[in-house]
Amino acid sequence: MLVIRNLTKQFYQRNEEITVVDNLSLTVKKGQVFGLIGPNGAGKTTTVKLVAGLLFPGKGKISIGGFPAGTLEAKRKIGFMNENPQFYYHLKAREVMEFVADLFEIEKTVATKKIDVLLKEVGLKDAKELAVRKFSKGMHQRLAFAVAQINNPELLILDEPLDGLDPLGRLDFKQMILKLKKSGATIFFSSHILSDVEEICDEVAILHKGKIIAQGSPKDLVKSSKQSLEELFVRSIRNA
Amino acid sequence: MRKVLWAITLNTFRETLRDKLLYSLVGFAVLVIAASLLAGSVSLGQDARVIQDFSLTAMLAFLLIITYFIGTQLVFKEVERKTIYLVLSKPVSRETFYLGKFLGLCLTILVAGLIMAVMFVIVLFAKTHSVPTAAYFAAGAVILEAWLLTAVSLLFSSFTSPLSSAIYTFGVTLIGHGSATVWLLSQKASPVIRTILEGVYYIFPNLEKFNLRNDVVFNLTPSASQVGLILLYFATYTVFLLILGVAVFRKDEF
Repeated sequence: MLVIRNLTKQFYQRNEEITVVDNLSLTVKKGQVFGLIGPNGAGKTTTVKLVAGLLFPGKGKISIGGFPAGTLEAKRKIGFMNENPQFYYHLKAREVMEFVADLFEIEKTVATKKIDVLLKEVGLKDAKELAVRKFSKGMHQRLAFAVAQINNPELLILDEPLDGLDPLGRLDFKQMILKLKKSGATIFFSSHILSDVEEICDEVAILHKGKIIAQGSPKDLVKSSKQSLEELFVRSIRNA
Repeated sequence: MRKVLWAITLNTFRETLRDKLLYSLVGFAVLVIAASLLAGSVSLGQDARVIQDFSLTAMLAFLLIITYFIGTQLVFKEVERKTIYLVLSKPVSRETFYLGKFLGLCLTILVAGLIMAVMFVIVLFAKTHSVPTAAYFAAGAVILEAWLLTAVSLLFSSFTSPLSSAIYTFGVTLIGHGSATVWLLSQKASPVIRTILEGVYYIFPNLEKFNLRNDVVFNLTPSASQVGLILLYFATYTVFLLILGVAVFRKDEF
């Protein structure tokens, strides 16, 4: 579903070249939940933005369902939830969903039904007619999660979806992701909360300074290293 | 693509309508145009002329302020608030997004311009009991000029800060209205300066082409060919600016 090959991304700061993603390769299979984990500044968000087509690769290729990332065909296949999602303040939750449905050119009657279902699923049914500027951070996250699913995406991309949520919110969110996983959804997400990743993912990659330093299923990684995922994560980062 | 473009246009329009600055500017413009009634009454037999000149100039000034302050913020706000992620991660091309932002602000300027024009017509009718056809054309030309400068401000805002963008757009307005002066100066200058000034004359839009205010004063309705030329000039220049803006915006990363 998602194939990344030799991906490199550099930024320039004060005439200095900084490599944020360094020759990264990975594959996310259909129906798989893939977690990209790493400390702050590891290159997770940059990788996610490259997949979503918001940044352009310096080198390498990203293919989504056979289409290069950033093309309209690839964007039709994905649902994207960015870190700390924000919406247009002048819109209500329903209007945000309708706006995004229009961007996917979804027929109005189909969109209306889908919006009701999704807002109910994320627990925003009663906030449907509320302006998003009145939303809490948790409500923003929930709305973003609903927005990301409006087009029944073949690949759901979530950037730090559990970041900044209270324990109850995190639990709800995890359950929503697990529900999607059960339904066979393909999910590619970044996080630095290891316990959540361990619980949700079929496969994880530990990213450090733009490079993958360990990869595999959480169970296998824990089994082969005879350490918890957290210990493995810390050791891998320190040894890298 | 049309549905997507319309969605972005309408969203931009609704977004700008929430800007309190817009209401203040339109409200103030309406008051200034109404005040032209007083200015007209103190002029000796030149009431209509003063009202027409004063109102159309006020209309242009306020529409340009809207362009400077709101137009230059359009893309910047999207990036700053991260709402651009919401749109550009969806099947929306950069071209469609850019064009949608432009058309959305044009719609806002049209609505603001129409409110001001209605006030102008009411004031003129109240004083002279007639409104020359030329007045409608002059008001239309003012809106066209504001639209063209919207394309200018959007182009600048795609690669610079809102403040710089507003300053540059203001500069283009000044040069655009001083095209004739620039040309005259170029003819009297040294060869090097002459080449530079002639370059400025040809590159910058000649905004005086949209100035039909004198025609209103003398009740001269523009001919069909004159209107056609103005529309052609507007369309050519605006399309060129939009193509240039899209070329810059396509390379932007967020």
